[in-house]
Amino acid sequence: MKNLAILILSGLLLSANASAGILEDRNCGSCHRLNTEETSLTAPDLHYAGNKFQPEWLKQFLKKPEVIRPAGFINDPEFLQGSTENRPVHPSFPEEDLNCLVESLMSLKIPGSTPAPTEPLSKGQQAKIKYQFERTFGCISCHQSLNLAGKVRGGISGPSLVNAGNRLQADWIADWLSSPETYLAKGRMPRYKMDPATLGQFTRFIMTLKKENIK
Amino acid sequence: MTMNQKILLAGIIFLLITGCGQNEQATPVVKPPTQQEVRETVPPTPQPKLAQVTAETRQTYQWYCAQCHGINGKGDGINAKFLTVPPRNHTKAEYLETRTDEQLFEAIKFGGLSTGRAPCMPAWGHTLDEDTIHSLVQYIRELCQCEAL
Ligand code: HEC
Ligand code: HEC
Ligand code: HEC
Repeated sequence: MKNLAILILSGLLLSANASAGILEDRNCGSCHRLNTEETSLTAPDLHYAGNKFQPEWLKQFLKKPEVIRPAGFINDPEFLQGSTENRPVHPSFPEEDLNCLVESLMSLKIPGSTPAPTEPLSKGQQAKIKYQFERTFGCISCHQSLNLAGKVRGGISGPSLVNAGNRLQADWIADWLSSPETYLAKGRMPRYKMDPATLGQFTRFIMTLKKENIK
Repeated sequence: MTMNQKILLAGIIFLLITGCGQNEQATPVVKPPTQQEVRETVPPTPQPKLAQVTAETRQTYQWYCAQCHGINGKGDGINAKFLTVPPRNHTKAEYLETRTDEQLFEAIKFGGLSTGRAPCMPAWGHTLDEDTIHSLVQYIRELCQCEAL
């Protein structure tokens, strides 16, 4: 009975979104949540991948995966052990799959609501937000980022933000900071109530973090 | 400025500003955040209240606090070695005896800065309700097996 329901559901899904097929084929759904009907599994949700990621980064990642969460996924039973060695390597995929995978991922979207400002930060704003990132709000306690000397610094319980500027979409970051519950029922990050200007500046700041700036 | 002066200046800034990331580099001098920015709201004086420690309290501690304070509250969570100020060891009575329940409540609700502690301790006031925070204070009292002197 349950199987039948799943069959019908996935049938509906496939007809609604034919390109999701390759994600099913390659078994992404065995670890990742690909639609809102499923519950969170053992890896980050991908049912809003089209809101969150930059397509170029996705392509790179699926070809040559890198570690984003140094301590593992928040729901992993061994998350709090901090066993950073022996982490399973993400499956990688052949060149001919990449475009189709990325296209399918980018088609997975949910309604978002917080557009980020597009103008870059002034030097003064950049310094102010960096200070707040490290001190006022303590973001660096849980997230790796880059210091002025271009060195990786910070805690490991949150996803690394060292390459966030190449990886994430600005609008998604703004939305995450203002209403994380849209994307995750219960995370481990504290909620912040920033005024809209600060929120926009934090978003722009995170977008400046790129791995080519590592020295 | 000569190169030497620049290095000296950088050194001074380095000493003045230390963030939470280990081995911080100099950050340009900026105006420290105002109280408003730090606390976001003016704290009401919390009513001393004996909250219950339930299974939920322990789960909340494991889910949020253990990332830094460790599974047993000893200050050895996975982020600990990356912080400039180590997370407080919640099993150490000698220190926690010197703090009132209200001070612990404020540190949890408004963050380390609000009670003159390090900003590496984030504010949980927008994540956890006051009853939960009261029960976390009691749980910390259980961990240290101590009371405010
Ligand atoms: C064996 C389980 C497993 C399978 C199968 C799997 N993944 Fe993953 N995936 C993970 C885990 C665990 C992470 C988190 C890695 C990290 O943060 O370091 C991840 C991360 C990702 C990310 C980055 C997500 C984020 O929020 O940072 C993307 C994108 C992704 N996977 C896509 C895919 C696609 C597409 C497939 C199928 C073609 C797939 N994965 C198959 C386990 C899996
Ligand atoms: C107590 C640890 C902690 C603190 C402090 C913290 N975060 Fe997070 N952050 C996390 C965790 C863990 C996640 C993964 C989602 C979750 O569990 O909530 C996350 C997710 C994120 C993401 C999404 C990254 C992704 O790839 O999915 C961004 C962006 C982010 N945090 C920015 C910030 C900013 C900006 C601050 C400071 C204002 C901050 N974080 C403070 C732990 C933290
Ligand atoms: C991002 C890391 C981090 C997380 C997560 C965290 N703390 Fe802390 N906490 C710290 C640090 C660092 C200190 C030490 C501050 C100092 O000594 O200046 C601290 C100190 C404290 C103190 C002592 C304050 C004082 O008066 O000295 C209490 C109480 C406390 N934390 C409770 C909690 C609770 C409860 C949670 C979970 C809701 C939590 N912390 C989550 C890092 C963290």
